Amino acid sequence: MIGIEHYVVVSSILFVLGVLGIFLNRKNVIVILMAIELILLAVNINLVAFSAFLGDLTGQIFAMFVLTVAAGEAAIGLAILVIYFRGRGSITVDDVNRMRG
Amino acid sequence: MVDLSQYLPILIFMGIALALSAAFILLPMGVARLTGAHKPDAEKLSEYECGFPAFEDPRSQFDVRFYLVAILFIIFDLEAAFLFPWAVSLDLTGWAGWITMMIFLGELVIGYIYAWKKGALEWE
Amino acid sequence: MDFTASLALIAPEILLSVSGLVLLLAGAWMGDGASRLVSYAAVAVLAVCAFMVAPALCSGAMGPDTVAFGGQFRADAFASFAKLLIYAAGGAALLVAPAFFERHGAMRAEYPVLVLFAVLGMGLMVSAGDLLTLYIGLELNSLSAYVLAAFLRTDERSAEAGLKYFVLGALASGILLFGMSLTYGFTGTTTFEGIRTALSGGLSTGALFGVIFMLAGLAFKIAAVPFHMWTPDVYEGAPTPVTTFFATAPKVAAVGLTMRVAMDAFGKQESAWQQVIIFAALASIVVGALGAIGQVNIKRLLAYSSINNVGFILIGLAAATQAGASAMLVYLSIYVAMSVGGFVAVLMLKDADGEAVEAIADIAGLSRTQPLLALCLAAVMFSLAGIPPLFGFWGKFVVFQAAVQADMIALAAIGIAASVIGAFYYLKIVKIMYFDEPVNKVHGKSDWIHWALLAVSAIFISPLGYLLTRWLGSLADKAAAALLFAA
Repeated sequence: MIGIEHYVVVSSILFVLGVLGIFLNRKNVIVILMAIELILLAVNINLVAFSAFLGDLTGQIFAMFVLTVAAGEAAIGLAILVIYFRGRGSITVDDVNRMRG
Repeated sequence: MVDLSQYLPILIFMGIALALSAAFILLPMGVARLTGAHKPDAEKLSEYECGFPAFEDPRSQFDVRFYLVAILFIIFDLEAAFLFPWAVSLDLTGWAGWITMMIFLGELVIGYIYAWKKGALEWE
Repeated sequence: MDFTASLALIAPEILLSVSGLVLLLAGAWMGDGASRLVSYAAVAVLAVCAFMVAPALCSGAMGPDTVAFGGQFRADAFASFAKLLIYAAGGAALLVAPAFFERHGAMRAEYPVLVLFAVLGMGLMVSAGDLLTLYIGLELNSLSAYVLAAFLRTDERSAEAGLKYFVLGALASGILLFGMSLTYGFTGTTTFEGIRTALSGGLSTGALFGVIFMLAGLAFKIAAVPFHMWTPDVYEGAPTPVTTFFATAPKVAAVGLTMRVAMDAFGKQESAWQQVIIFAALASIVVGALGAIGQVNIKRLLAYSSINNVGFILIGLAAATQAGASAMLVYLSIYVAMSVGGFVAVLMLKDADGEAVEAIADIAGLSRTQPLLALCLAAVMFSLAGIPPLFGFWGKFVVFQAAVQADMIALAAIGIAASVIGAFYYLKIVKIMYFDEPVNKVHGKSDWIHWALLAVSAIFISPLGYLLTRWLGSLADKAAAALLFAA
């Protein structure tokens, strides 16, 4: 029997993977965008699972909002990335260090 | 005896903080060490392309215009995700729900007009 | 509560969103030449909104009459106080921008529109009565802010600031959201009132994780230690008018939001968050003070100073009393004035070609070339350090008083000791300006709007500000009472 705790464990694992993806990755900023999506989707799993478990619709509505805001966030992230790329000619994470201190 | 359980929140907070800040500093170093066995020479660096010399740079970039279209697509595509739940629950939400969605669509149309006026929809 | 009454309560938000959309189209049609016009129109909209929210503050509005849409939105005195500060900061960011961006040929009509939408989002944040409202407001603010940070598209530092702010801001939103999903799961509701009721019996481990994750996400947004690492880079890289905005309005909104979440939604479980806040407060004060010492760029220095100030503000929250909340609001008002003054002064540091001067070494001997500017900058620095004749001292005083009243004498003592360390680097700037050999780098003439804003904030933080203490205190008390009444 799959219970609520299984969903929470899966979403926690996805969340940690997303956070690690942001910090571990050294190649490409696009991967960071994907890691952020992963975090938000982990949240969505949580929300929908809790919503079904509690028999309360709020969680699913919340998940819809998270989904659409995540789309806006991805769009803005890509746009900033394009600007950055035009200036630097590279999107390698290690190059994002004009300022230090 | 001090009730230690009341310090659990700060412990968790410190745990999160420590994990995040350690991740910031240590993980890139660790990865650099692990993947850093890095002694390139000309042979290693050249691409293998069926024995021929490479024709062109295999990592040629996508045209930025594709990104622009993709960005616009993400926004206008996903905002439509609200339409389906709205449509199936319209008998419950009534006129208030209908007017709300029309306002939302109106805002989307304003965004569309703006993108059009700014020339974001033109390929050339 | 019927629909019309709810709509009347959100009238300022409706006005902001409609005028934002109209100005967006106006900017698209009239082109970038009309940006100055659009900016001034946006300032006028903010002024009208300020008049719309002021009555709720003066009458100390609280209770069920201020709750709109079934508890999702609250237009009480607390929200009005925070909104007035946010509108003022947004207006300042709009007024200083045209002169700065026009020199780079980058003034666009989108700037005022983005500021308006960010202000709208921040208004939603401080008015939130539900996790969903909180999230929408936060994201509306953050998404506009990411674009604003990268607004100077041709400048590499601006693009990098935008990228860094985006990645860490999105991570913070993710952490906050994860906390919200856990809170929802373990309390079964998303309204602050419902969460409060559900937690009044006790705190399960799952809900505790939710609380801590939410606090961590909010700490990111207010740039409190240990989640402050993005602040110096973003403040340095973003265009200076945008930095002025970041250092003021979003701080007010995020602190206001943290107060609402902590004292209202989690108000029955004070012990769960109090220690976290105490830790964040002390760490922010110390890290802000120590990190500033080696800085050579004045914008980075002000970034560390803002981290330091957030620590002092959080001391008021750690007290978890009405007096503490009121003290935080007083401190926030003074902090906004100090930050606007500080960053406007930085904007006015220009060399003969009109290029920005940001290195601290280049302002040596400023008192001899530009005595008035040096005097204002010195006033800001003394005020940030909390040296008595200036108004900055009053903010620190009320916060420490609230902490002492809440029996947190050790916290207050450590805070006072750390503020002495902090005074060092503020005084160093004053010393460089007044006693070092002049390098004669700063020559440029400034716009009269910059002078006017600098004068207003300098007068507010000067000893004349003490004339306002009674009035400011009573308004802050009303706002704090409304915050705790909802709780």
